[in-house]
Amino acid sequence: MTQPEQNGFTAEETRIIRARQAARSRIMGVILVALCVLFFLITVVKIGVWG
Amino acid sequence: MTTASRNISLPAEWRDFWALTKPRVMSLVVFTALCGLLAAPGHIHPVIGFTAILCIALGAGACGALNQWYEADVDAKMARTSKRPLPAGRMDREAALHFGIGLAAFSVGIMGVAVNWISAGLLAFSIFFYAVVYTIWLKPNTPQNIVIGGAAGAFPPVIGWAAVTGDVTLLPILLFSIIFLWTPPHFWALALFMKTDYGAAGIPMLPNVSGQRVTRNQIFGYSFPMAAVAIAPFVLGESGWLYGMASAILSLVFLMLAFKVWRNEANEAKDMKPEKQLFAFSILYLFLLFAIFAFDRILLA
Repeated sequence: MTQPEQNGFTAEETRIIRARQAARSRIMGVILVALCVLFFLITVVKIGVWG
Repeated sequence: MTTASRNISLPAEWRDFWALTKPRVMSLVVFTALCGLLAAPGHIHPVIGFTAILCIALGAGACGALNQWYEADVDAKMARTSKRPLPAGRMDREAALHFGIGLAAFSVGIMGVAVNWISAGLLAFSIFFYAVVYTIWLKPNTPQNIVIGGAAGAFPPVIGWAAVTGDVTLLPILLFSIIFLWTPPHFWALALFMKTDYGAAGIPMLPNVSGQRVTRNQIFGYSFPMAAVAIAPFVLGESGWLYGMASAILSLVFLMLAFKVWRNEANEAKDMKPEKQLFAFSILYLFLLFAIFAFDRILLA
């Protein structure tokens, strides 16, 4: 049986796209938080707070 | 990714972006860079040192992505590389290109701002050398591709050193030379038992162009200057006895395995045990040599 299509994608394809987008968003979130921490630490070191 | 039945693009998985960076190659790059950083005289703050290594890793990842972007068609013809994200159809080429350029710009920029611009310049040059000089120019055109292209893989310890000192002296040039001269025997040993794969892809590796005898002669020939350069830091008084002994023993084993390759006359991959042994040992050789060198320098300091 053919699945109904939305925006050119089947329901199964839409589910795969959403799952991949969610996984990529989570990874991007983790990377951005890690970079914020790293840039903060670099700034603190550069201005000489920790010598 | 494109579905098999209909021409519809699905977004690539994050794992495919990770695979684009060639994580196994990156691990060797990070390791040699870390050894260069630890062996350098002077002090670097751990946060800045971590940032330098991260930037070198990201730069190596950029090289992997740009390499896979350019070689997608070639990778599809080789069994070893046909499962990569681009030849397997799991990712658009454009996404790989953007990812590679983005990583390269980001890594060089952060290296310059957070560490120093000498190491950033070296990182930028090594990315350019690997992506353009090696991948686009040398690899498809000359059997000497990995001899000159080996320079790209030899930069990480120099960049690690420059991150600490802000300059490049004789010792990092020796570290560069060790990897530079190690690359031909390492890759040609692989090319001998992967000859069919490279031949099918039309890459002019030495065994395909000049034959197996010439390749085995070259492997054995390159092993001598490699061993000499590996021992040079001790001879020049830049390392202690620990590295001197280790480099001599490891280089002797390397030369013995290269000799076995030189004597081998096998034409089929299944009979190329000496070549497979040399390839496997060459990786261990580089890991141990650099680890012991860094440890020895720390002890000396």
